[in-house]
Amino acid sequence: MNTTVDPITLEVVCEGLIAIVREMRASIIRASYSPAIYELDDFSCALFSTAAEMVAQSEDHPGHVMPMPWSVRCAMADFENDIRPGDIIILNDPYRGGTHLNDVTLLYPVFVEDKLMLLPAVRAHWADVGGMTPGSYSGLSTNIYQEGLRMPPIKLYEGGRLNHAIMKLIECNMRLPEHRLGDMNAMIGACRIAEQRVHRLFEKYGLSEVLECIATNLDRSEARMRERIRALPNGTYVYEDYLEYYDEGRFDPVLVRLSLSVRDDEIIADFEGSNPQVPGVVNSSLAVAGAGVFVALKSTLDPGGAVNHGAFRPIRLRAPEASVVDVRPDAPAGAHGEVRKRVVSVMLGCLSQIAPELVSGDLSGTSFPNSIGGMLTGRNRSYVYIEVPAGGNGGFLEADGSSAFVNVDFGNIRSIHTAEFLESEMPFVVERCELRTDSGGAGRTRGGLGMRRELRLLGEEATYSVLSDRAVIPPFGICGGASAAPVSVSILDGSREIALATPGKATGLVIRKDAVVVMQSAGGGGYGDPLSRDPRLVASDVSAGYVSPQRAQSDYGVMLNEDDSVNERGTADLRRQIAADMSALNIVADETSPYEGIKGRHRVLRMEPGLAAKHGLRTNQLVEILGRHPAPLRAWVKLDQSAQPDAIPVDAFGRRVLGVEPGQRVRLRKLDTLIEPGERQVLPVARQ
Amino acid sequence: MQMVGVDVGGTFTDAVYYDDQSGELRWAKAPSTPADPAQGVLAAVGRNNVELGSTDRFVHGVTIGTNAILERRGAPVWMLTTRGFRDTLEIARTNRTTLYDIKTLKQTPLVPRQRVIEIEERVMADGAVLRPLDSAQVLAAAERLTGEAPAAVTVCFLHSYVNAKHEEMTAKRLREHLPGWFVCHSAEVLPEMREYERFNTAILNAYIGPITKRYLDALTKSLRRQGYRGAVYLMTSSGGIVTAARAARFPVHTVLSGPAGGVAAAIHLGQLLGTRNLITYDMGGTSTDVCLIEDLVTPVTSEQFIDGLPIRTPQIEINTVGAGGGSIAWVDSGSILKVGPRSAGAVPGPACYSQGGEEPTVTDANLALRRLSPMLKLAGSVSLNENLAEKAVSRIVKAISGLDVPRAADGIIRIAVARMVSAIKEISVARGHDPRDFVLTAFGGAGPMHAAFIAEELEMSHVLIPLRPGNFCAFGALISDIRHDHVRTYRLALDSADLSNIEPSFARMEEDARSVMIDEGMPPERITMVRGAGMRYLGQSWDLIVRLPDWADAVRDLERLFHETHEQRFGYRAADPVEIVSLRVSAIGQVTKPELGGWSIEGTLESALRETRSAYFSGKEMSVPVYLRDRLPGHARFDGPAIVEEMGSVTIVPPSWRAEVGRLGELQLKRKEP
Repeated sequence: MNTTVDPITLEVVCEGLIAIVREMRASIIRASYSPAIYELDDFSCALFSTAAEMVAQSEDHPGHVMPMPWSVRCAMADFENDIRPGDIIILNDPYRGGTHLNDVTLLYPVFVEDKLMLLPAVRAHWADVGGMTPGSYSGLSTNIYQEGLRMPPIKLYEGGRLNHAIMKLIECNMRLPEHRLGDMNAMIGACRIAEQRVHRLFEKYGLSEVLECIATNLDRSEARMRERIRALPNGTYVYEDYLEYYDEGRFDPVLVRLSLSVRDDEIIADFEGSNPQVPGVVNSSLAVAGAGVFVALKSTLDPGGAVNHGAFRPIRLRAPEASVVDVRPDAPAGAHGEVRKRVVSVMLGCLSQIAPELVSGDLSGTSFPNSIGGMLTGRNRSYVYIEVPAGGNGGFLEADGSSAFVNVDFGNIRSIHTAEFLESEMPFVVERCELRTDSGGAGRTRGGLGMRRELRLLGEEATYSVLSDRAVIPPFGICGGASAAPVSVSILDGSREIALATPGKATGLVIRKDAVVVMQSAGGGGYGDPLSRDPRLVASDVSAGYVSPQRAQSDYGVMLNEDDSVNERGTADLRRQIAADMSALNIVADETSPYEGIKGRHRVLRMEPGLAAKHGLRTNQLVEILGRHPAPLRAWVKLDQSAQPDAIPVDAFGRRVLGVEPGQRVRLRKLDTLIEPGERQVLPVARQ
Repeated sequence: MQMVGVDVGGTFTDAVYYDDQSGELRWAKAPSTPADPAQGVLAAVGRNNVELGSTDRFVHGVTIGTNAILERRGAPVWMLTTRGFRDTLEIARTNRTTLYDIKTLKQTPLVPRQRVIEIEERVMADGAVLRPLDSAQVLAAAERLTGEAPAAVTVCFLHSYVNAKHEEMTAKRLREHLPGWFVCHSAEVLPEMREYERFNTAILNAYIGPITKRYLDALTKSLRRQGYRGAVYLMTSSGGIVTAARAARFPVHTVLSGPAGGVAAAIHLGQLLGTRNLITYDMGGTSTDVCLIEDLVTPVTSEQFIDGLPIRTPQIEINTVGAGGGSIAWVDSGSILKVGPRSAGAVPGPACYSQGGEEPTVTDANLALRRLSPMLKLAGSVSLNENLAEKAVSRIVKAISGLDVPRAADGIIRIAVARMVSAIKEISVARGHDPRDFVLTAFGGAGPMHAAFIAEELEMSHVLIPLRPGNFCAFGALISDIRHDHVRTYRLALDSADLSNIEPSFARMEEDARSVMIDEGMPPERITMVRGAGMRYLGQSWDLIVRLPDWADAVRDLERLFHETHEQRFGYRAADPVEIVSLRVSAIGQVTKPELGGWSIEGTLESALRETRSAYFSGKEMSVPVYLRDRLPGHARFDGPAIVEEMGSVTIVPPSWRAEVGRLGELQLKRKEP
């Protein structure tokens, strides 16, 4: 590392820059008006260089802060040399490095000695930005105009003067405009504080010294990340997974496909083959997909180090235009978080082939936002309930995944209120809030459990909305670990249990007094073969109630005595039998496209009917194919008379996912799902 | 009246003795004995030549409960809870405090799921009973526990802060059936809303209950054996003192007992000197505590965590950094110099203690720069070895190119200083206070060595070093009043409010509080009450505690006071309706306090000069006068660089600073105009 700065000054200046971001955060929490900002910490601050690189951040939401450099770059490109002291730039454009429209970003150029030096920035979730529903967050949007007011990078302040036209436009297009004004002032206030502190830092240590410190700090983060990447074997690793989309009510999985290449000390994440964008909310920008790539890399290869843009430099991103990971006008982009989370999933799938000891089983993988709106009885006041019950984390080499714990891409957010606070504010009784037995994916180390949260409505009729993923296709296990339980939502109305027409997704569902909304978050995927889990740990899980005695037998092959101790003999026998019973099949090369779908694309596994029957499989059955690589390949069975009676066809991409050659054997594992591709829900469903 | 205050730190145990007849104050230090803290306590008391038979008050800052939590050595705790909520502790608030690490694990709850027993019962938010308590289930639970070795059990039911009947009935039944068990219920420990936080606080109480009781019993017995006949008092986290009997029942209130004494002492000193805005900086061997005091008001909060677990008892708002004189300096894989959080502790201690430590600590760095003298004996017995200090620091020199021993030692200190600066910024600038408006009050054995350097970084121009800074926390134990904090949930929207019910509610709380204190032997005329209310804007989720002034009908001014406090604290006031969420009463029983006499040493500065030593400042070797603090004459002034030595601590006056001896013997350090 070539630097002239002494190591001590370097630390003091870098710590000083992070302290500026902390101070911005404290200021926002003090002054903001949206509960999502001050209660859930749904905002982020950072400092950017003139090269649009993130110089410093602190406890900020990775989902916000990682895409921000794209926004800064877009703004810098738009205004080129026309950024002056006193300018403040506002934007929320998902197509230009934004996330979803609710996340509004302010950039505040700071000048030192007449030169642009740093750009403090704030991205915060505004409670409403207009659009078709209150809160601007609808699972039913088919284009971006329904999601709210879109702002490209524009100057809110120019030379210190407020552009009233912009303010008026905002006021006319958003609900509760006075609150938006409050949030905006809070954001500007935080940037002003940052400006003062930046000035003081430059005065104290000198212009060239501070710039040198910033450059050195970025360089050493870069060097550190490159060192970690260089330790990985060169090669290209592939994986695929799905987002859940309904095309006019019919289940239509959407493909996210990744080729991750390690080239010496560089990483190339190429999303070639991913689904074209869909007229639904599961699209997002490459900035957001890139955030998923970075979070997964950083959290596995180099956990805990300082986070700044240096660590991002060795990463290249590629994606097909107008796809679910590089959305173009005018597709909606409301569920950006789900796209980011699925990118984390495919990253884990790829990374597991390189360094299985560094990754975990798949995470619960969805934000799971639930909302209920209604009126308070006897009071002329409405209420809006929002919770995002956290699910399980994947098991990993050293330990079981944590239960009901927000995923690594979600920052330090609290996902639920306490029952006592909730009940004292809104007309609910929390009947139950507990971990879901058997929801963690089985494995040598177990996936964390999801939670079961039951809310009984005490008040008048209300409406319920949910926008979740992983409600059909469950989080996957790694290295032979099993998948976890997916998200589940139902309404108990008297003795009837009502399922959702589109699992995981509902908008404005009417619920009556005394009905119980049952929200169950997903578990995390297992890690390693469950048959190799220490039987005593399984016994302990059974005695704690994390695993049922039935699943201890069926998933782990563990027989327990009456006193819950391990029946050693029975366990050994059962484990042998389960291993022997697993379906094993040869694969053959077949390069016809395996993907089908309406607007989505899902992988089908063509099987000769006799072969399918022999393995207990039917049409549209979801299966996991387990090869030599740690992560499974998922596909839906399709009966095909012309398929071979003793082997299954897999294309080149699929074989790379599995790490197997034609003629080699793979194992099959059945997964039960609530709904099949192309189908509508046939169970008794609630009215919307 | 004679009294003794003792503070147990990670490295040293400090004692202060005072006799109000003669006005004599005595100070002593002994090495801490983590395996059996009472030994260190008795040693420190012994070194003060205290006659325990004629001592009237013994006040103690304890860390035994804190350490039991940090080291997970508490009692097995069982929990009885409302059906449907057995996972409240494990689900927690679901947030992740460590970012960018896929292998981060959630904090493990103190009660494993196997020890949670669900009971059929349900109280609603307004206190109404939705489902009655199923006594048969309670009995079954009690019977199940009789088969276990006696430990601790906590009753944690929803909404017990409004209606504690179910909890009380259950706890009563458990006490009947489980002799020898530590039994408590959540509402008696902390009657506040939010089950996760309240349950955890109650469980922490049970977790450290048995060990605290054992320790206090043993200590009391030893004191009795030496003739002590008075009551044993403990410092609480909120800066008051309570009887050992009460502390044994609610030990969770004493978890931040140690540092609270220092803050109490600083406020006392500030009152005597007329210095109203202080930032305390208490640096010991293993950790550092900082606290911001505005207008001499003790800042109390109830939103703290201990090792990732929430603890919602009233506590002085102290920011703790895991770095002290014994913190170890090391170089990480990216060639970055770091200090802490690992500490050499009491055993083996810094390398220079010659007790087998080899890694460089902050103390070693100070010795290598010769700001500390090898002639010093810490706590009367520990001598410092300069060669071992330099050898330890040279480990850093080997790992980072371009450094020599003095530069590496200077680097260690500057990084430790940067961490303190950052901790002080968190409690000042991050909350809208400008540190330049405050006086940095430094104590603890290592505080006065670094105070001026910290002040420079924060552009503070004034540093205050009390006399015997190493024993300042123990002194604080002697000037603290007896204090019982009571809180009850009381929800009332002020826009529609009938305020007339508040007064009787306060009066009832005060009556209860008074009788508890009188039962403990406090004369009624020495008891005063302080009222407060937890308030917030409708729709806000966290409340702010507003202290009621003591004029008549102060309740009428609550709304205005809330707006003012809110603006002061958060920088804005809103037009939204205001509501009360809790009523708070603190009962204060005044005790006799030591008086600090005027500083009567006479003579010249020269007579206080011990030696002139060559030491490093700003990378340069300089000739520096070293003074003995006990011989510094009143109002003596001298310029830095200078070093002042006394029992238990060393004060460094850097080159751009000037020192003056104040009227109470305190050192006033002021920055020279540039």
